[in-house]
Amino acid sequence: MTGPTILFEDIDERGLNTIDVYRRRGGYESLRKVLTTMQPSEVVDELMASGLRGRGGAGFPSGRKISFIPKVDVDKYLVCNADESEPGTFKDRELMQKSPHMLIEGIVIGAFAAGATKSFIYIRGEYVEQADIIDAAIVEAREAGFLGENILGSGFGLTLHLHRGAGAYICGEETGLLDSLEGKRGNPRLKPPFPANQGLYQGPTVINNVETLATMPHIIKMGGAEYAKIGTETSAGTKLVSVSGNVQRPGNYEIELGISSREIIYGLAGGPPEGRAVKMWFPGGSSSPVLTGDDLDIAYDFNTLAQAKSMLGSGAIIVVDDSVPVVSVALKLAKFYKHESCGKCTPCREGTRWTVSMLERVDQGLATPMDLDIMASVQEQIIGNCLCVLGDAMAMPIGSMVAKFRDEFEAHIEAARARNPWAGEGPPDPDPVLVQGASGA
Amino acid sequence: MPRPAPDTIAFTVDGLEVNAPAGMMLADAAKLGDVEIPVFCYEPKLGEPVGACRMCLVEIEGIPKLQTACSTPVRDGMAVNTQTARVKEAQEAVLEFLLINHPLDCPVCDKGGECPLQDITYGWGPGRSRFIEPKRHFVKPLALSPLIAIDRERCILCYRCVRFSQEISEDYQLVLQERGADSYVSTFDGHPYVAPFSGNIIELCPVGALTSQPYRFRARPWDIEGSGSVCLGCPGQCNVEYTVRDERVLRVLSRQHDGVDDGWLCDRGRFGYQSFHVDERVTHPLVRVDGELIPVAWDRALDEAAAALGGAGSDSGALAGGKTTNEEGWLLQELFRGALGSPNVDSRADGMLPRELHAALHAPALQATVPDLEFAHAVLVLDCEPVDDQPSLDLRIRKGVRRNGVKLAVASSRPSSLDANAAAVVRYAPGAGEAFCAALNGALGESDAGPGSATRKGVVEELAEAAGADADAVRALAAVLADAGEDVVIVYGERLTHGARGEDAARALLNVCGRVAEAGHDGAGLLEVPAGTNGRGLREVGVLPNAAPGLAPVSPVGLASAELGASAAAGAISALYLLHVDPLRDLPGRATWRAALQRADHVIAHADFLSEGLWEYATIVFPAESYAEKEGTITHPDGRVQRLRPAIARPDAVRAEWNVIADLSKRLGHDVSVLSGAMASARVFEAIPFYAGLTLDELGGRGLRWPARPAAAGWPAADTGPFGLETPPHAPTPNGALRLGTFRSIWAAQEVEVAPALKFLRQRQRAELHPVDAERMGLAHGDRVTVGSNGSRVQATVVLRSGVPEGSVFLEAGIAEESASELDGGGLVEVSPQ
Repeated sequence: MTGPTILFEDIDERGLNTIDVYRRRGGYESLRKVLTTMQPSEVVDELMASGLRGRGGAGFPSGRKISFIPKVDVDKYLVCNADESEPGTFKDRELMQKSPHMLIEGIVIGAFAAGATKSFIYIRGEYVEQADIIDAAIVEAREAGFLGENILGSGFGLTLHLHRGAGAYICGEETGLLDSLEGKRGNPRLKPPFPANQGLYQGPTVINNVETLATMPHIIKMGGAEYAKIGTETSAGTKLVSVSGNVQRPGNYEIELGISSREIIYGLAGGPPEGRAVKMWFPGGSSSPVLTGDDLDIAYDFNTLAQAKSMLGSGAIIVVDDSVPVVSVALKLAKFYKHESCGKCTPCREGTRWTVSMLERVDQGLATPMDLDIMASVQEQIIGNCLCVLGDAMAMPIGSMVAKFRDEFEAHIEAARARNPWAGEGPPDPDPVLVQGASGA
Repeated sequence: MPRPAPDTIAFTVDGLEVNAPAGMMLADAAKLGDVEIPVFCYEPKLGEPVGACRMCLVEIEGIPKLQTACSTPVRDGMAVNTQTARVKEAQEAVLEFLLINHPLDCPVCDKGGECPLQDITYGWGPGRSRFIEPKRHFVKPLALSPLIAIDRERCILCYRCVRFSQEISEDYQLVLQERGADSYVSTFDGHPYVAPFSGNIIELCPVGALTSQPYRFRARPWDIEGSGSVCLGCPGQCNVEYTVRDERVLRVLSRQHDGVDDGWLCDRGRFGYQSFHVDERVTHPLVRVDGELIPVAWDRALDEAAAALGGAGSDSGALAGGKTTNEEGWLLQELFRGALGSPNVDSRADGMLPRELHAALHAPALQATVPDLEFAHAVLVLDCEPVDDQPSLDLRIRKGVRRNGVKLAVASSRPSSLDANAAAVVRYAPGAGEAFCAALNGALGESDAGPGSATRKGVVEELAEAAGADADAVRALAAVLADAGEDVVIVYGERLTHGARGEDAARALLNVCGRVAEAGHDGAGLLEVPAGTNGRGLREVGVLPNAAPGLAPVSPVGLASAELGASAAAGAISALYLLHVDPLRDLPGRATWRAALQRADHVIAHADFLSEGLWEYATIVFPAESYAEKEGTITHPDGRVQRLRPAIARPDAVRAEWNVIADLSKRLGHDVSVLSGAMASARVFEAIPFYAGLTLDELGGRGLRWPARPAAAGWPAADTGPFGLETPPHAPTPNGALRLGTFRSIWAAQEVEVAPALKFLRQRQRAELHPVDAERMGLAHGDRVTVGSNGSRVQATVVLRSGVPEGSVFLEAGIAEESASELDGGGLVEVSPQ
């Protein structure tokens, strides 16, 4: 039992991406309710009451985020972060592809609550098909009077533009996204000022993830208090999780927050292939510190995962079974972050490069166990010292891997040194079993 | 935007209670308690902090994460720790990261010994690195421009240079290419970074990544001495520090003075020092013998000059160029008025302005200061191009617009580089400044009084048409000035008050000023961009045909420069004295001046280079000091008297010019009793009522604004408006020909032509045309053309600019060859293909 389905209730209905089917399923009724019967502050109150937390990664309470928007008479903006660049995350993709109007409805509701009159969807460049679908949906919504001036006769108007990114991970970071949207190099900005005060074009800006916005119509429909009953006290509602890696049924699943992680990985995704065991798993995207097979029974919600020194993040569960060497996972991950580091702040720019170099040496058997200490220490030097969280996003999982799988790292070094004719003293050992054995430690 | 009011708060840093202005960044505020927080990317001059280098992380009680001191404003009661283990760890981490890719080639690096990275590594670094992998490599050094070398391996990617290019000089040329650890600084398209202010990035660079090509490998920090003075390159009078090694200037650095230059220098000021040490320089007195200038002893040169001047008596005249100090100018007018009885002294280029108008335009009550530009509600840039005429103002105006929301209005004939930042722009016909001011005055009158005002209907249209401007654009500009607030500053070029109708133009300007800026209101008023470096000072010390020192009345009134030229050309002047000026190069009307120099019996000049007019016509040449050798005072356009201090010894036989002029005066029987530079300054301060009480010690290294001192009461009575004015003349109708406008670019200067590093910037004549005019004449960009008028002509290359008003052509003056001053005529020229 995984709890109620909200976002995915009709998700596989044919034609849901068209406005007719969406409206037949009750779409845009929440918007009508908001615009005809509610004040912006009441919408914010509903969101606060629902306990909805941001679904993009940071898990910040969405209602409070909107309430930070100053009530001054300047142009305000709502930006939907559809960059979904966190490795392992693909939930927004399905949501946008199959139910774009749910997102648009959420955007209009969110903008109304925040007093924003201009809104943008920043979608990653690789989502070509999804971008076309949303573009078509925006046209439909505008023609139906759900976007543009004087929506549903309420006097509230909103413009919505879709902007395609060019494939940089850093443009999923909210301030990097804003710079990119403004036409600049996508580099994160110093905070404060926070986007709520000075965001897009220096105006107050709400930035929300696709799933967060798409949830808003449902909260309006069922009422914040009702929504809050789902999930746990601190993690209300349902969450889309993207399960990938060594599982038999990878894909997106909607779960009620607070169910056990084993239920997701084994129950929904079918667990690793026959005869394999879960070695480690990323509970919330590639930037979350890894958990091991021993942690499978912890509840999947914001607080429990935080207590386990990891995080729920974007809800992307990547499962790694015991056939995969931890060093190759670490190296792949570090290379990704090195490639995506924007280069603005020192610890991330230099730390990611250094970490990759060290991991390559580990992989080739050119390292010593002392290098593992240095690697761990470098991760410590990155965490908390960067301009944005990209540096931490590499340092946390790598640090956790080195800490939890140190034996395997050391064995890998030994095995690779033995195999590498340039590294060790002895002759290269052609036996791959040794390598396999190392990874199975 | 008015200046923020200072508000003091108390906070604790490392247990020490410190008072600091509220809102000051922690990195600066900590210094007030003698605590240094290391920084790389932070530089307040560059505007908002970016927090990129992470060097300044500190612990603030109550905040769990370490915070960047560069971006955290101090608040009352804040408790900051910079010495805890956590902070130390973070600092060591950042330095270890920064040194990962740094080549550590300090022994061969220009920056070694004066390098923030070196200093901070010694002070805060971990001492050893655990990095054993290969470093990042780049081809190095590369020429970022002919002036700047870039070593990308040394670069720590602090962003300072990129921010300077993007946010200070706004030339948008420098960018970071690539991403992450592969990032490097470059121009976007790989072109050389050539810009008026590019050299500042050398000084901003906290490592040896950006080095000066002319200074590379010339000295180590322990070989050199710093010597402070003031740049004489333009009226901006930026404060500089000369780097001196063995009596040679090897480098010029900024000596930050927020009241003058804000800590920036233009490239002409930064690299022009090479002109002090070139072979072309005149270093001995020269006398023309059998048509050739030959070096002679000082006594002979002085005797011959004294004889020539004594013989000419009142049939003599003197001109002082902009680089003349107050002392030299005062002595010059003593020599002419006192010893020769000649009233013909002038320091202005073209035409005479009544004494009372000088007094009105520069009255202390109407005087705006340079920092006012930053905090004004609105700034009108009128008939000048700051980046060319006084570069430091350009940066100051951009700063005001960018950071404080100053409303900028630009009114000029030639398109300005500030247009893009302006809330309103008016283009008028070249030379129609008077008509424009009258039209603006009319438009302001309309908005002042609303409908039914005294301003006659249609008058703005008439006047705008006379100015060749668009009436609606004039109204829009008037609205910007009228609606902004009370702090309105008008920055105007001295050229507005030049020419036959300069007097009317000055009156029209005063009328405009009377409408937008209240006299005596701080932060509002007029700020002139003089044509010469010390233009203001020279007028104040009496180098004017119609005013004695202190702008006192004088009788008889002498000849102004243009009249002097005409008079000499007619044979009425026997001796011409040229102090730092070559009329053929610096003044309009080359044909007249050529005749004048040819006709005069004696042409006596002080010069450091033999430019065309002197080479051909001077009979006696005294070697002039370079400005690193000079002592004396000069007066900034906003009234700040600044002191020049000699940085190097005078080469060869060069003598101080005050000394030469005083010597001549004595030989001619008028002993001014000036035996030292300091005595000369004292005499100037005595002679001018509103300088009274100044001393060199008081001026010190920062100068003093005399309008802010009590002695300013000695300023003479002014002829203040509003003036009833006759209708200004209509700008000439092109009618097939083109209106000629002239300008002088930042690179039109002697030092650019002789300094080896700057020679590549030497200007060649170009004719700036509107594409429509060019098409009508069948001309394309890059074509060679002849621009002619009344038989005189210059050769030029066509440059198409869509901002140039149709029916006009712009040519450059003040350049060595094919200067626009060759063209005489009624403001209309013909352009024909070669």
